[in-house]
Amino acid sequence: MTGARTSKVSWHLASLVAQREFTSRVMTKAYAISTAVMVAILVGGQIVYAMASGDEDPTAIGTTGDDRALVVAIKQSAKALGHDVEIRAQGSESKARDRVKDGELDVAVIGHEDGSVDAVSQDELDSELESILQAAGKQVALEKALVAQDVDADRLAADVERASIDVDVLDPDDPDKGQRVALAYIAVLLLFFTVYLYGLYVAMGVVEEKSSRVVELLLSTIKPLELLVGKVIGIGAVGLMQVVVFGGAALATGLATDVVTIGSTAIAVFAASILWYVLGFAFFAVLYAALGSLVSRQEDVNNATMPLSILAFAIFFAAQASLSTPDSGWIETLSWIPPFSATLMPLRIAAGVTDPLQVVGTVIIMLVATAVTAVFAARIYESSVLNTGGRQSLRGALSRSR
Amino acid sequence: MTTGLTLEHVCKTYGDLKALDDLSFTVGRGELFGFVGSNGAGKTTTMRILLGVLSADSGRVLLDGVPLDAPARRRFGYMPAERGLYPKMKVGEQLVYFARLHGMTAAEATESMRHWIERLGVSDRVDDHVDTLSTGNQQRVQLAAALVHDPAVLVLDEPFSGLDPVAVDVMSEVLSEKSSSGVPVLFSSHQLELVEQLCDRVGIIADGSLVAVGTVDELRSGQPVRLEVVTEAPAGWADELHGVTTISASGDRFLLEVEDPSGDQDVLAAALRHGPVSRFGRVQPKLSELYREAVSA
Repeated sequence: MTGARTSKVSWHLASLVAQREFTSRVMTKAYAISTAVMVAILVGGQIVYAMASGDEDPTAIGTTGDDRALVVAIKQSAKALGHDVEIRAQGSESKARDRVKDGELDVAVIGHEDGSVDAVSQDELDSELESILQAAGKQVALEKALVAQDVDADRLAADVERASIDVDVLDPDDPDKGQRVALAYIAVLLLFFTVYLYGLYVAMGVVEEKSSRVVELLLSTIKPLELLVGKVIGIGAVGLMQVVVFGGAALATGLATDVVTIGSTAIAVFAASILWYVLGFAFFAVLYAALGSLVSRQEDVNNATMPLSILAFAIFFAAQASLSTPDSGWIETLSWIPPFSATLMPLRIAAGVTDPLQVVGTVIIMLVATAVTAVFAARIYESSVLNTGGRQSLRGALSRSR
Repeated sequence: MTTGLTLEHVCKTYGDLKALDDLSFTVGRGELFGFVGSNGAGKTTTMRILLGVLSADSGRVLLDGVPLDAPARRRFGYMPAERGLYPKMKVGEQLVYFARLHGMTAAEATESMRHWIERLGVSDRVDDHVDTLSTGNQQRVQLAAALVHDPAVLVLDEPFSGLDPVAVDVMSEVLSEKSSSGVPVLFSSHQLELVEQLCDRVGIIADGSLVAVGTVDELRSGQPVRLEVVTEAPAGWADELHGVTTISASGDRFLLEVEDPSGDQDVLAAALRHGPVSRFGRVQPKLSELYREAVSA
């Protein structure tokens, strides 16, 4: 192209192109609706999850009579199993049975004169509650039997207490592991879809200009590189807004509903997602533009950009496969390699298995890779964007550009 | 210094095909220049090189004697042969966008857009998507896109093709107006009558070379004088005359070519000797005839 590479890019022109790309995509009903729906899912989903998994009401257990030992035994046995119970003393057996019928009590424990114990419930008892009651009943019976045989109850209790086993865990479970995996998963999903979708939009935008032939009119006043840069920035900004809005909505709701309790990690993952979106998008978008410029019809876009789509899916599946083992050796190695770093690094940040050196190092490598890619992509784009007609070969485009 | 738009020794090849072969001509300021030639003769390639959309293999393009660069080219108005607008963009927004790409501020662009959609009769479609417009109206918007930034040079590839007669009148008016305001206007067309009627000068291109250039009268000047004679004289009456050739004879209408223009009275006298003459006069060859001759030469 005349002067295309000999003079500088006008940022004013590129920004006009970017503005058009941005507003023509954002100022549509479809965009507003799809964004609103997605935000509603992200926010609503977490609220529903928080409500469903929130603190359950303690199991209400009614007791009759004044069998202190039984109450203590039930509490101990429930505590041992991590079950939350509330003991409510009932005046009489019939009252207790009524409360069970009303649903005020989950179960009524009725002690008889002869020391036997009945449990009354509306439905089948859940197995955990049943074992709690069984254990408590047996405990009380055992104590009573031992006391009847003149055993010192207090000494017995002290001896049993001493006999408890201390557990020394060499590799303790990370209590936040579930959250970390979920965060990583959401970040990777958001990154993958945004980079893939908006990359494809770049290719489609390039082809739209070719198929509508408006590109000749455009290139009579701006350089191909200005058009390319403006397009990538404009469409990239729409995607960035999606990442910020979706990620921000998910993060804010997660923190507000206490679904996410590892706040600083979540914020770091959010920031990393934004950074790696920008890097990943820049890398893919210029390539999508270059491959898009080889064809002139929308129906050829998918075929022309197939290699990139495969690459995008590959980095997604690499991240997917490493969700549970983000610290394995091959993931560590792969996470240095662009564009795999774009999904693997946010994942490793979420898992807390990386260090600042790797974060900075992978960002620099990705930047260099993107710059090199952009130079080649721009050459292909510049030499192909005016060629309408049949599909062109990559080799032809590159040789023409020399 | 030559004022206006000048091509100097421009060459362009596509592979083995020589698209432009040492093409040179000038469109002066205030001049309406018609560019004619058959399909594939090199008109579109020439225009693309003028606009910088294509680069020439050799040669230069100058405006007022200064080689063109990107900022100077942004003052050009262009209507490509392959019409193109964003189909899903509103007419008004699209024109403002193009005006701004050509260097106008948002306010200037909006004002100019209003002016041109009014002038070209598409003001009621300002908020419609381009793809909902009829072909004729899309053409008007396309012309508006070439004019909206008040161009310093106008280059239009087949601006009249696909226009209805009213739009042809509007287009002719706008082109004449632009050229008389000092803008060099270059346009190509296959409608030679229109070119003859509108243009100050005409360039005929064939196989990448300019085979004739000048005003229509200048193009005629090298031509032998033709006479039309309507007479009852018998066929072959003119054969005896020296330096006169009968081009065609149909019924009583004879078309003759004379080598010496001053010999026309001798021809009239000869015709009268053979019978009554009801019509006698010089025939101005039409541009289409000049064109055919130039291209076939």
